[in-house]
This record gives sequence, C-alpha cells and structure tokens, in this order.
Amino acid sequence: MANFFDSDEILKSFDWPIVRRILAFVRPHKLLLACTVLSLALSTVGSLFLPLISRRIVDGSLMVSSVSLPRQVLDDERFRGLPGLDKAVTIGDRLFVRRSDLSGLPAASRAALLADGALDEAPCYVVAWAEAADLPASLRGDLGSCLPDFGQALAGPVWLDGALVLPEARLLALSPPEARQLRRADFTTLRRDGLWFLVSLALVLAATFGQTWSTSLTGQYVMKDLRLQLFRRTAGQSIGFLSRQPVGRLVTRLTSDVETINEFFTNVLVSFVKDGSVMVGVIIVLFAMSPRLATVVLLSLPPVFIASTVSRQKARDAFRKQRTLLSRVNAFIAEHICGVNIVKLFGRERAVAADFSVDNHGLMKASLAEMYVFATFRPLIEFFSATSTAAVLYYGAGLHRSGLISLGALIAFVNLIRMFYAPVQDLSEKFTILQSAMAGGERVFSLLDTDQALPDRPVASLAAGVRGHIEFDQVWFAYKQEDWVLKDISFTVEPGQTLAIVGSTGAGKSTVVNLLPRLWDIQRGYIKLDGTSIVDLPLAAVRTAVRPVLQDVFLFSGTIAENIALGLPLERSQVEAAARTVHAHEFVERLPDGYDTRLGEGAATLSAGQRQLLSFARVVAHNPAIIVLDEATSSVDTETERLIQAGLAGLMQGRTTIAIAHRLSTIKHADRILVLAEGRLAEQGSHDELIALRGLYYNLYRLQYERKGATA
Amino acid sequence: MDEDSTILTEACSGLALHKADGQVYHAHYMLKEFRTLGPYIRQHWYRYLLGILCLLLVDSAQLLIPQYIQRSIDAVAAGQARSAVLAIVVWLLGTAALVAAGRFLWRFFIHGASRRIERDLRDKLFGRLMTLPMKFFQDNSVGDLMARATNDMQNIRMASGMAFVAFFDGVFMSLAILAVMFARHPATALWVVIPLPLITLLIIFFGRFLGRRFKVVQERYADMSTVVQESLQGIRVVKSFVKEDYFSRRFGLANDRYRDASMAVVRLYGLFFPLITFLAGLTTLLLLLVGGGAVLENRMSPGNLAAMLAYLEMLVWPMVGAGFTVNMIQRGAVSLKRINEILHLAPEAELAAAVVGESGDQGDQGGASLMATSRAAAAVPTAVPTGAAGHLEIRDLSFTYPGTATPALSSVSLRLPAGQTLGLLGRIGSGKSTLLKMLPRIVEPPRASLLIGGRDIGSYCLADLRQAIGFVPQESFLFSDSIRHNVCFACPDLSAARFSEVLRISALERDIDLFADGWETMVGERGLTLSGGQKQRVAIARALARNPQILVFDDALSAVDAGTEELILAGILADRAGKTNIIVSNRVSTLQRADLIAVLDDGGLIQFGPPAELIRQDGFYAETAALQELAHHVAEGRD
Repeated sequence: MANFFDSDEILKSFDWPIVRRILAFVRPHKLLLACTVLSLALSTVGSLFLPLISRRIVDGSLMVSSVSLPRQVLDDERFRGLPGLDKAVTIGDRLFVRRSDLSGLPAASRAALLADGALDEAPCYVVAWAEAADLPASLRGDLGSCLPDFGQALAGPVWLDGALVLPEARLLALSPPEARQLRRADFTTLRRDGLWFLVSLALVLAATFGQTWSTSLTGQYVMKDLRLQLFRRTAGQSIGFLSRQPVGRLVTRLTSDVETINEFFTNVLVSFVKDGSVMVGVIIVLFAMSPRLATVVLLSLPPVFIASTVSRQKARDAFRKQRTLLSRVNAFIAEHICGVNIVKLFGRERAVAADFSVDNHGLMKASLAEMYVFATFRPLIEFFSATSTAAVLYYGAGLHRSGLISLGALIAFVNLIRMFYAPVQDLSEKFTILQSAMAGGERVFSLLDTDQALPDRPVASLAAGVRGHIEFDQVWFAYKQEDWVLKDISFTVEPGQTLAIVGSTGAGKSTVVNLLPRLWDIQRGYIKLDGTSIVDLPLAAVRTAVRPVLQDVFLFSGTIAENIALGLPLERSQVEAAARTVHAHEFVERLPDGYDTRLGEGAATLSAGQRQLLSFARVVAHNPAIIVLDEATSSVDTETERLIQAGLAGLMQGRTTIAIAHRLSTIKHADRILVLAEGRLAEQGSHDELIALRGLYYNLYRLQYERKGATA
Repeated sequence: MDEDSTILTEACSGLALHKADGQVYHAHYMLKEFRTLGPYIRQHWYRYLLGILCLLLVDSAQLLIPQYIQRSIDAVAAGQARSAVLAIVVWLLGTAALVAAGRFLWRFFIHGASRRIERDLRDKLFGRLMTLPMKFFQDNSVGDLMARATNDMQNIRMASGMAFVAFFDGVFMSLAILAVMFARHPATALWVVIPLPLITLLIIFFGRFLGRRFKVVQERYADMSTVVQESLQGIRVVKSFVKEDYFSRRFGLANDRYRDASMAVVRLYGLFFPLITFLAGLTTLLLLLVGGGAVLENRMSPGNLAAMLAYLEMLVWPMVGAGFTVNMIQRGAVSLKRINEILHLAPEAELAAAVVGESGDQGDQGGASLMATSRAAAAVPTAVPTGAAGHLEIRDLSFTYPGTATPALSSVSLRLPAGQTLGLLGRIGSGKSTLLKMLPRIVEPPRASLLIGGRDIGSYCLADLRQAIGFVPQESFLFSDSIRHNVCFACPDLSAARFSEVLRISALERDIDLFADGWETMVGERGLTLSGGQKQRVAIARALARNPQILVFDDALSAVDAGTEELILAGILADRAGKTNIIVSNRVSTLQRADLIAVLDDGGLIQFGPPAELIRQDGFYAETAALQELAHHVAEGRD
C-alpha cells in the first residue's frame, strides 16, 4: 500500500554526485563493462556499415557508368595522386574511371580537367578483360575496334585490348539475358557485397544482444550490491528509528527505488552512449562522403535542437504533473479502499465518488496535456527530418551535376539522415527516465547515509558461560523525550531464578522485554548482566545471552524447521529435540509435511497456540542463558492453554527468566513477583507475601488472574 | 508506419510493467469482453472517426514521400537542372507538412478518446467499489484491487487507443505498400515480402513466451520484497536473535533468484528487437539482391529500386504493429475481464434490500450514471425516528461469524430509551465490537434482533440508517487531506459555527498552534503525522459534526490522557442532550457518566443497569472500578 502513496515522483535534473555514486557500484564489474563497450562499439559500427554497403552495391554494381580521360593526365604534375584516378582502367590511350570514383575529386582539379578538355563526361560502360565470345549477340554486329577521338561521342560498342567500352544508352537497351551475360562481374560483386551486408546484419544482431545482455547483467549485479548494502544498513538501524519508519516505505526504497536506478543502466546510459555515438558517427560518415553536403545537413539542424530542448522542458513539466496527479488518484483509491468502512459508516459513497471524479478528471487533463506535447514534438521532428532530406536532395542535385557526389552517396545521405533523426525522439524520452532514476537514487542514497544504529563500543567482554545474573539499577526509560514509561526501577534476579512482572495495562511491563536484550537504550541508570553494564558489552553477545519471547509471534515464510533454526546449522534431530522440549513436536509431526511444512502466505495456517510453541522451540534451539518472556494476552482455548503451559515449563527450565506474566501458573511458579503501576515499582515479593499484603497485587490477582486461573 | 516507435515503446513498456498474463484467449472471448467497451467507443465515435480519417490521410500522404525521393533521385541521375529537383522537393516538403499536421490530429482524436474512456471507466470502477459490502473488502486484498485500478486500466487504455491505431495503421499501410510494391515490380516484391509475416509471428510468439517469463520475474520480485518486508516487520526477532547476517543472506539469495529470472527474460527480450532489425535487414538484403539483379538485367530503373527500398522500410513497422495489436488486445481483454468482475457485483444496498426482502424503490448508491442498476428490491424509505420514538432495543441477539464455532454474541437483550447514554464494558473478544458493527449494518444482524423505534433496523433503507448514526471507530482512520476536510467528511456544508463547536468539544482547538496551516493542514501520508490522541479527537469531531441521532463511541479515547478525556466527555454529553450515545470504554471514570451500563463477557450480557447500581453489585464492573482506583492511588502516592 505504501507504494501507492510513495510513488510521488519528484523529478530531479541530472545530478553528478548521484551518478558518480551509482557508477561506483559498477567498478567491480569491469569485465562486463568491457563487454558492454565492445558490443556497443560493434553494433554501432555495424549499423553504420549497412547503409554504406547498400551504397556500394548501388554505386559499385548497379550504376557503373564511367567517364574517360586522356592517358597523358597521369603524367601531369597537377593531377598526380588525385583520388579516384588510381582506380582507372587503361584502354588504348584513354583512362576510364567510374563516376562514383571521381566524386571525391577536389573542385579545383575537376575544373582544371574540364578546362583542359581532358574530361569526357559522356557516360559509358566498361567491361575490362572480357572474352569476345561472351559478348551478347546484339553487340557483335557493330563492334568497333578503336575508340573515337577524344571529344567525339562514342556511337557504339568498341572492342579493344580485350576490353569492351559501351555507351550507356546501348547498355540499357540490352535484353535481360544479354545484360546478364555481359554484367556477370557485376553480379558477382553484388553477391559479394550482399554477403557483407548479411555479415553486418548478423554482427548487429549479435552485438546488440550482447550489449543488452551485458548491461542487464551489470544492472542486476549493481542492484544486488546496492540492495544488500541497504538491507544491512537498514537492519542495523535502531528499533527506535525503524519503529518510526513505515515498513512499506522502507520496502519501496529497497525494491522499486533501486529498480529505477537499474533503468538508468539498462535504458538511459546505454541509449545516451549508443544514440550519441550513432549521431556522431552519422555526421562523421556524412563528412567523409561529402563535406559540402554534410555542411548542408548540419545547417538544417538548429531547429531540431531548439525544438527538442523546448519539448524536453515541456515534457518534463507535463510528465511531472501527470505523475503527481496519477499518484494522487492512486493514493485516493488505495486510501478509500482501506478506509471504506468510514465511507460506509458515514454514508458518503456518492460524495467520495464525486470527489474522485474531480481528481480523475484532473488526471485525464494532465495526461492529455502530456500527450499533446509528444503529439506535437514527434511529428515536428519527422517534419524536420523531411526538411533535411529535401535540402540534401536539392543541393545534392547540384553537386551531382558537377560530379562532386555519386548517386549512391546521395541515396546513402538520405538514409543516414533518417538514422540521425531516429534517436532524437528517443533521447528526449530517455531524459525523463533519467530524471526519475536520479530521484530514486537520491532516496536510496539518503537511506544508505542514515546512521541510527545503537552504539556498539564494547569495553568489556562476556565470559563464555553466562551465569545469568541480572540487575536493574535505578532504570529510567522513555520511548520519546521525557515521557517516562519506567521510573526509577531497581531489582535483581539471581541466576536460574524466575521473576514475574505484573501490573495493569499501560504500566510499562512490556517495555522490560525491549531493554534487557538492548533493543532500546535506557536514558538513566544501569542494566547489568553478570555484573557488567550491557552498554559496555558487545551488542551481539548481549543478544545471544538474552532472548526475548515476544507476545506477537513472528514466523517467517519458510519451513517450520527453518523457522526454528533461523540459519543455525542444526541437524534435524536437534530441531526435533528443541521442539520436544516445548511440546511442539507432537503437532508438528501431525502436519502433512512435518518439519518441512511451509509457513507464510497461502501456506499452512497454525493456531495462535501452535505459533507460540514454535517461537518457544526457536528460543530453546538457540539455548540462551536468559529469557525474557512477554506472555500473550489473547485468550486461547483450554487445550492450547494446556499445551502452552507445558511448553513454557520446558522453555524456562534451567534459565534465568523474566516473565511479563498474564498466566496464573507462571506467576505462581515465579520465585519473585514485581508489581508495576504507572511505570513505578509498586510492590515486590513472593506470591504469598503479596497476597498477605492485601495491596495492588491482591486486587489484580482477584480480578485478572483468578478467574482465568480457574478455567485453565 | 506512423507511430512506429510509439506503438513500440508503449507496447513494450506495457510488457515490462504489466508482465502480461501469458494466457491465451480465444478471439470470440476477447470480443465478448470488449463489448463492454462498446458503449464507451460509441460515445466517442466522432473522435474515432476523425482520428481514423487523419490516420489514413497521413498514411496515404506518407506513401508519396518515397515517390518524391525517387523522382528527385531519378531527376538527379538523369542530370536534370536543379530547378526541376526544386519543384519536386517543394512538393515533398508540402506533403511532409501535411503528414505532420495529420499525425498531431489523429493522436489528438484517438488518444483523446482513449484517455476519456479510461477516466470514465475508472470513475465507474471507483464508484462501484465504494458501494460494495464490507465482506468484499475482507475477501480481496488492497493490492489486487489497486492492480485493477492501475495496471488493468492502463491495459484497457492501450487497447482502446494504441491497439486501435496500430490495427488501422497496420492494415492500411500493409495493404497499400504491398499494392505499390507489387505494382512496381511484382517479381521482386514477391521475394521481398517473404520474411515480413515472420516479424508479426515473431512478436506474437514472443509476447506469449515473454509473458510467462515476466510472470516468473514478477513472482521473484515479490519474493524479494517479501523477504525485506518480513525482515523489517520481524525486526525485533531478527535483532534479538542476532540474525542480521542470516536474513541478509536470505535476501541475497532472493536477489540471485530475481536476477536469474530477469536474465531469462533478457535472453529472450534482448533478442527481440535485434531480431526484428535483423529480419527487416534481411528483406532489404533480398531487395538489394533480387531488385539489384533486375536493375542489372535492365528490368528495373535504379530510382525504382531506391523507392522500393524506402517502401520496404515503411512496411516493417506495420508488421511489428500487427504483432503488438494482438498482444495489446489480449492484455486489454484480460484486464477488462478483471474490471468487469467488479462492475458486475451487486452493490451493498441491493444486497441489504434482498436480505430484508421488502419491495420498494431505492436509488442506486453507486452514483455512476452509465450504470444501469437492476431494480433493487429495497426497504421502505422511512426515516429513522428521532426524539423519544427512537429507542433502541436488542432482542435475544445471538450471532456466530460464518466459519467459526463459538458465537460472538449469545442471547443479548437490552433496551436503551431514546436520549440516553449506554456504557459498554468487557474484555477483548467479549463481543462489544460485533455488537457495535451491527448497528450500521456493517455486520448484518439476524432479523428482528436489533430494533430502533420498534422497527427492525433491516427495514430501514441503508442510507437512512447510516445517516442517523455517528461512529467513532476504535482505530481512527483519517484520510490524507486537510483537518477541515476530515472533520467535515460527513457534512461538507457544515456551518462555521458548528465547525468551531465540534473542534472545541473534541479538544482539538488547543492544538491549533501545532498545525502550520491551521485547519487546512494536510494530515496523513502526504502531510503532518498526527499522534494517536489527535487522530482520535479528529475522528470524534467528524462524528459529532453531523449531529447524529445515535453516537457510537468504540473505545475512542484510549490514546487521550485522563484529564482530556474527562473534558471531552463532559463536552460531548452536554452537546448531545436528548440524543442517544453508546460508549465503549475500559475506564470506569468514563463509564460512570453513562445512564446505563452493559457488561459483556464471552458474548453474553453479564451485567446491565445504571452505574450507581452496578458499583454496588459484586461483579466485573465494581472490581474493575476498584482496581483502577487502587492503581491510581498507588502511583499517585509514589510520585
């Protein structure tokens, strides 16, 4: 339930100290981290490769028109080492270069080539090193054997030095079988590049999976480490602190708040790195392909940044508002389910439903407002993406005409722009997750930084065999401030003795159970165990020597044996022995699974008496020197009462016992009786002495114990 | 193709949050559950219609964009002038603007409708919940009911919004794109579309398997929080047995189990998106190979190939969407079933009426307008009598809770004249609370055993009966709202004079300095934490505010010190002159102010009479009085 109240999301902006603390938890998992980085890099590279390969297919196999240059160009100082010329094929006295290979030519060189009249831009298709027999029949008819003079158009196919040069129009006029025959080499390249494409796809598949896997595993390890630290820290806090904290809230800290930090790993961090590197990668590839066109793309980006900044803020506000209202609505529902009896008692069903409608309507409006932000932002970004594409097409057309960019590169640009825009929308949404992770982190770390444990600074140690001598020396205790529950209480219990404490409700009896095992610290006076003040002894030693038997029995989910042993390495026979001592064995054995019967939700239900006996067995199994027994007040049937009394006898045997007594038998068997009234020690002595006194005990006895004693 | 990523992120967050049930429902079953949504969808028909129109407009315009890209590229390839390209590009931009506007609009309409439906359904659910009998709340955990009000609602929103969009978008886009591709190059298109249905199947398949694994994750997560919860609830045991390490180990193990289950999901889920990308890439590869071959063989233009590449990419998301539609609708149907289970339950008033079996008309307590309540056979709307006519009578009342052997009450008979105060005394479990709960019929008393003004309380209409009673329960439950709201809970239009009067009587007035915002101070989970005594006093003010015919006081001053208790009681009794009160208390000092005292023990009435008489009798009342007197004297003497 607490979750519904606690889901009040406070969004924080990016907070370095919190991120650093989260990242500190990653440090032990270096190998996984390396795995993440590697797979991230591979998947990014792989996904950038894909459009490049499809560009190569278009440029390298499908669109293979060449232009020609005079061979002398190679000897010209000005053109030495020009990109693309090295891929030229020499046929006769000419160089044939694919248009796509020349797209990297600097503008000045291109201008110089054109000015010299050295560049013949008429598109033609070149097949180097072909067999004459392979030529399609339709070409053989007018096969020429020399190239026309430079500057004159190539009219038909030319067969020279084992190579074929064909005007592009003739190529496109070929029938499919002829084209296939002629372009066998292109088919081979196509298939080879297709294979590369497949390899890249598989790489992306494997790397993306690897990356998800390794980040999730890292996240899981970090969560476990964090949760265990939180658990140890929380369990170590004082009862005083823990009793002020709603259990539900602490559970939320350890479970769902930690989970939001996991989101930071699996969702945000990786996305930021991956999307960021894809975006940067795209820009780099664009610049490598064509700096001029890439500049055009860059110039079209500012509106995108403005829009995403604005929308991020709007989305955050809208999200925050929606979350606040959502948690209010949920809390309203949860609360009115819990308090439904109040609603009914006052006949307010209709009225609260009307109140609910108001909040519910507010929630709808907030969630509509949030939706409008996204409904505006997403289409807007898509539109900007179209703007960039349009700009690229327009300027690209000019560049292509000047031979500055190949068609394949232009197509790749169009695709890469899409790749660039895809994460833009994503990143904005991730930002919201980041913010709630920050908020979760803050709550988790503030709990981790809380130190409310009782001081444990032993200056003495407890001898191995605890005798069990107890002394309360002018003890004053209050749960808060000066609201004294115990006032100036002094008494001693000799080893092996039984002391019963009685008094009316609210007299402070049950508090004694908390003080001796040092679940709370007293404000004044001393509590001494075998002559040493318990604050001077190791906390664990005190609690091992003194075991409280609490009024409300708490059984954990697990088997009966587990509940008795609580992690002690006990043989089954030892567990049974403990159970026999308190007469629990009989009923446990009758259960279908005996000691392996599972307890907890949806499992076997035990009666109150049986639960009491199990808690006795638990204490016996831990064999303390001293027990502090807080007897249950709840009424039980006669049979259970008999069982419990028998169990108690086994439990108390040979141990120093302080009993907050409600049972006549316990009181009567005590060596001494303490009577408390409103926090003070009113009377003490043996049963007979106190009866003779005819004071408070005498009356209490008659009213509260005698009747019950008679029935038991 | 529109909405691709939204469908995806929403559907996936759905997967992650609600951890789909993994159950498979038949189509007709799904449809049956969805019929409940029918009236809601009809109510918003114009939104859906306009939304779908916009969606189809967007989809059609979208199909044009690759064409413009193709024509530009072809123009570039043909070496045409930039102005020719410019003309195409302007068209491209215009279409893109249209698409952007359409995308906003369909979201506006369809999401708008689905969120309104969610609101209406939630209103209806809450309204119905409030009217259900108490037994329902004992039988169902808060957690389960909350899950219905939150996760299930979200599933239904998705089914009525996203699934709707994904369905129309998917069907229209798939058909249109397939048509375009086949028209362009049938042979190539045939090859290329082969892997696409695999994507849809993959998603449906994944949805089912993931559902199962998510369920395990959810269970393990619950186990983990159970360990925390138990360890903290049983922290006294943990600490006093020095078992911090043992429980920390247990928690570690629970963590490991959760991790293993989560990683089992990751192994599947982590493959999910990469596989979609892979299959989509495979279709591109097929297109490059088959279409590339066609280009090489002069059977297709390069521009055509580029356009088909673009179309292909658009086809992937409708296929993904189709898969998610199936999953979303399945989840939505399961959730709707869970909501309907509650909506179909009869409200308490109907049940109460059925118990009495008298006929008549009675308003539906639910208040939700859409709900056509079946005609309720209800009690005659007779107001609970006021003044001297309103005496209370218990006639031989015996009651045993179902499923228990020992009776909670046995043969209790007493008569309380109107305007008098009854004090109730008894040990824990003596039947006091059961008796009190019968008065407003939170627990239904046997017929003719509890009478007001000589009439069986079962014959009053429930609302009227409860209207006549002011109840201060043992555990003071306040709502997380202002103090004023809590005090005025039962009567929002309380006069300012009465408001300050009840604050004075309940001795809240003197605490005003402790409340930063005065009576507007928020209390509870999101505000000030009140002490037990303060809560009790607010609860008293709340009951007094409505000035009820009968005031029931269930040990409601236990957390207040004796002096304050005296003060409050004196104030209440003065305020309630002429009205009936029933006060449970263990303090004789409180009880002695009553006109009559009843002592219950083991469900039976053991003493009954005026306090002055009982104190003289040798019995439980006198003994308790003596004991309390004595304890007080002893403590006083010592101080």
